[in-house]
Amino acid sequence: MSSGKPRILVVDDEHQILRALRVILRDAGFEAVPADSAEEALDLAAVQTPDAAIVDLVLPDLDGVELCRRLREWSGMPIILLSAVGDEDAKVRALAAGADDYITKPFGPRELVARLEANLRRTAPEPEEAVIESDGLTVDLARRSVLVDGSEVHLTPIEFDLLRLLIRNRGRLMTHRDLLVNVWGAGYGDDTQVLRAHIANLRRKIEPADGPRFIKTDPGVGYRFSG
Amino acid sequence: MAAYAPPMTTRTAPGLLVGRRPSRLAGVIVAAVAVATTTALIYPLKSLAPAVALSVVYLPAVLLVSAYWGLVLGLFTSLLSAAAFNWFHIPPVGRFTIADSRNWVALAAFVTVAAVVSTTAELARSRAAEAERRRMEADLAAELARDLLSGNDTREALGAAGRRVAETLAIPSAAIELRIATGDERRRALPLRGGDGTQIATLLVPQGLPGETAARLKRQVVPTLEALVAIALRRDAMQAEAVETAALRRSDDVKTALLRAVSHDLRTPLTSIVATGHALGTDSLSAEERRELSATVVDEGARLATLVDKLLDLSRLQAGGAAPRTDWISIEDVVMAAREGLTDRAAQIRVTIDPDVPAVRADAAQLERAFANLLENARRYSNGHPVSVHARRTDRRVVVRVVDQGPGIKPAERERIFEPFYRGPQQGSGPWTGSGLGLAIAKGFVEANGGSISVESLPGQGTSFVVSLPVAQDGVIEPEEVAR
Repeated sequence: MSSGKPRILVVDDEHQILRALRVILRDAGFEAVPADSAEEALDLAAVQTPDAAIVDLVLPDLDGVELCRRLREWSGMPIILLSAVGDEDAKVRALAAGADDYITKPFGPRELVARLEANLRRTAPEPEEAVIESDGLTVDLARRSVLVDGSEVHLTPIEFDLLRLLIRNRGRLMTHRDLLVNVWGAGYGDDTQVLRAHIANLRRKIEPADGPRFIKTDPGVGYRFSG
Repeated sequence: MAAYAPPMTTRTAPGLLVGRRPSRLAGVIVAAVAVATTTALIYPLKSLAPAVALSVVYLPAVLLVSAYWGLVLGLFTSLLSAAAFNWFHIPPVGRFTIADSRNWVALAAFVTVAAVVSTTAELARSRAAEAERRRMEADLAAELARDLLSGNDTREALGAAGRRVAETLAIPSAAIELRIATGDERRRALPLRGGDGTQIATLLVPQGLPGETAARLKRQVVPTLEALVAIALRRDAMQAEAVETAALRRSDDVKTALLRAVSHDLRTPLTSIVATGHALGTDSLSAEERRELSATVVDEGARLATLVDKLLDLSRLQAGGAAPRTDWISIEDVVMAAREGLTDRAAQIRVTIDPDVPAVRADAAQLERAFANLLENARRYSNGHPVSVHARRTDRRVVVRVVDQGPGIKPAERERIFEPFYRGPQQGSGPWTGSGLGLAIAKGFVEANGGSISVESLPGQGTSFVVSLPVAQDGVIEPEEVAR
C-alpha cells in the first residue's frame, strides 16, 4: 500500500488476459501485479504483499484450488477466482480452500472491480453503520428492526442474524458454509437445506414479489447481498 | 434282430464285461474251441475224480462266452458243453443216451448252473455297458459344454461341437447351424429347441444312421445341445448388450469431455477479446498499450476462427459426413499448400518429395487439412528447430514422414495423442497453445482417404508422424491425367 494504490496479484497463464487486466485495474485505481504461473504467484505474493489476488482456476503448473490453499496458509488477503461455467466443482473446492469470491469468464470489468472493492472492504472495514437503507429496505442493526417500504416486518432471530451477516458483507459472496457456521455454529456447516428454508422465509418477508432484489443466489455456492 | 450288425468301431474294448459285443461268429468259434478244449482236459482229470463230477470244469468256458457275447451265446455254450460232456464222458460214451439216472441229475444240475452263470454274466455285462454309456454321455455333455461355453464366439464354437458329436458317435459328420435348416437326401435335420419350444438351431447328420446311433442322438445329444446352445446364445446376447452399454458410456464420456474442452477453448479467447475490448475503452492508454491490445483482439479472433474451423472438421468427421471427393492429386501440391496455409512461418519446414512418388487418389482439400494439422503440430513441438517432410514410394504405398526434433512422445501417450482434445503434457502456454484437435483431424482425414497414420518417437530426440496412402492399382499415371 506504499504507493497508495491497492496492489492486485493477477494470476493467469493467458498473457492477453494479463495485459487487458493490467489496463482495466489501472483504470479503476488499482495496480496489477501479473503472474503467469502459480510458482511466480507464490513468489510475488511473498515479496510484493499484494492487497488482493485474482486467480485463474486453470493454471499450467498447479491447480488453482491448490494455489488458493497455499496462499491462504499465510495470507488473509481476499482471493477472487476466475472460473468458467462447467468449473463448478473446482469453484466450490477453491472456495472451501479459502478463496473469497469468484467471477465467471468472460467477465466485464465493472463486475470485477465491484467484487474486488467489496472484498477489500472486508480487510479494511469501514466504520459500521447502525442503520442501512437501500431501495425501500431499512435495517436498524442496533434496534434489530426491519422496515419494508416504511412498514415494520417481524423477523425471527435466525432470519435477522442471516440478514445482518449478508448486509455486513455487502457485495461479497457468502458461501452456505460461511452463513451456517456464523449463524448456527460450527457443527451445522453442512445443513444447506435448513439454510435454504430460512433464506426463503427471509425473502418472502423483505423482497418484492417480482423476484429477489437484495439477496442474490449464487447457485450451489452461496448468497450475496446487493443493495 | 438277426439282420442287425452292430457298427464296427475303431475303439478297442477296454476290458472284460465292458463295451460292445464282439462279433457273434467269433463267439461261436470261441465257444466251440473252449468246449473242445475243456472236453479234452477232462480225460486226464478222470483219473482224479469221477467223470460225473467233472461237468463243473465247463463253467469257465460258459462264463467266458456269456461275459463277452451275452446270454444267448452263453446258453448255447452251456448246451454245447452238456452235449459234449454227455457224448464224450458220460457212460455210455459215444452216445447221447444216459444209462445211470444219477448222471441225468448231474447233467441237469450242470445245465441249470451254466444257465445261471450265463444270466449273471450277461447282467453284469449289460450293467457295465450301461455305466460306460452313461459315462460317455456325461463326457460328451461336459465336452460340448466346454466347446460351446468357454469361447466368446458361439458361431465358431458350433463347428467344434459338431465335430465332437461326430467323433463320439462315430458318424461321418455332424453340423450345428443357428437357423431352421431342412434335411435333404444326404442329410437329416434334427431341430434344436429353446426353453420356450421355438427352434433355435438345427443339428444336421447324415441320412441312414444305424438305429442305436439315431436313438442316442435323439435321447442324449439333442437335449444336451438344446440346453447348451440356448445358454450360449443367451450369453452372446448379454455380451453384446454389455459391449453396447460400454460403448454408449464411452461415447457419453467422450461427449462430456468434448463439451468441457470446447467450452474452455472457446471461452479463453472470448475472455481475452472481451477484456481487451474493455481495456481499449479506457482513457489512460499509451500508444504502445493500444497497439498491443488491438493486436490481441486480432490474434485471439484468428485463434477463435481456427478453432471453429477445426471443430467443424471434427464434427464432419465424427458424423461420417467427410466423404472424400477423390481425384488424382500430387502429394507435393498438397504438402506445399499445407505449408503455405500456416499462419506463422517462423519455423522452417523442409519438404523432400522423391521423384518416383506417384499421384494418389484422394480428396485434395482433406489431405491438405491433414498435413496442415501435422505440420502445425510438428512446428509447435520442435522448439524452433526445422521440421522436415519426406515423401517416398514403397511397394504399394506412398509414405510421407513429418519429422520434428521436439521432446518426443512417451510410449504411454502415443495411443492417446490422436484422441480429440488430448494435449501433450509438455505443451507450454502462449498464444499458439494447441487446440488438442489437430492430430484427431489429421487421423480422421487420412483414414477417410484410405490411408493410415502412425507415430514413431524417441523421447528426447523427436517424433515422426508417418502417413501411408495407397497407390492406385494402375500405379503410374499419365501426366495429362493428373493435370485434368
